[in-house]
Amino acid sequence: MSGPPLFILLCSGEHEKVHMAAMTATVAAVSERPVQVFVSMNAVYAFEKGKAAADRYKGRAFSEEMKAKKAPDTLELFGQGRMLGDLKMHICAMALDVLGWDENNLVEDMFDGPMGLTKFLADAEEGQLVTM
Amino acid sequence: MAERKRIDARGAFCPGPLMELIANLKLVDVGDELEVWSSDKGSVKEIPEWVAKVGHEMGETTEHDGYWSVVVRKAK
Repeated sequence: MSGPPLFILLCSGEHEKVHMAAMTATVAAVSERPVQVFVSMNAVYAFEKGKAAADRYKGRAFSEEMKAKKAPDTLELFGQGRMLGDLKMHICAMALDVLGWDENNLVEDMFDGPMGLTKFLADAEEGQLVTM
Repeated sequence: MAERKRIDARGAFCPGPLMELIANLKLVDVGDELEVWSSDKGSVKEIPEWVAKVGHEMGETTEHDGYWSVVVRKAK
């Protein structure tokens, strides 16, 4: 039985929060629950193309523990969710404008395109919204 | 005839063992069994929750020296 769609508004670039968003989105998606993630603000930097893991994942004590214990890579988790479940990823159109970026600045095969907040919030009315 | 495939996910943290189970379930036939080896205690509880949610069937869970084996039967 599928649950109501889950909408995740990911704003923090802190490794722990980006990783929690990846875990939540992926596990929900593989549990037959449609998921949409809207990436904005500092979270955008975690998805920049060409970064080494040490530069991509900035966090605090738990982040260091995850790196030391070789916990699953955060972006790979999002990728698994997309491959195995109904997980859609949107990059904030405003954030791209502010940074002067386009989709070529982002890791490949991660996003379903830019989206505005108005559209995301309208879609989220039919499900549950979580902000990280 | 149903078959059993082993997945050695020891050393992987949650949700790694679950993700490996799900990926492999797509590759086997209904009725086949997957035996997941996991050293992550949390995954030993998470896998039955996921199996119940999506409608597969649990087999036996056995504790070994430093890891667990969890058997899941593909039901659909």
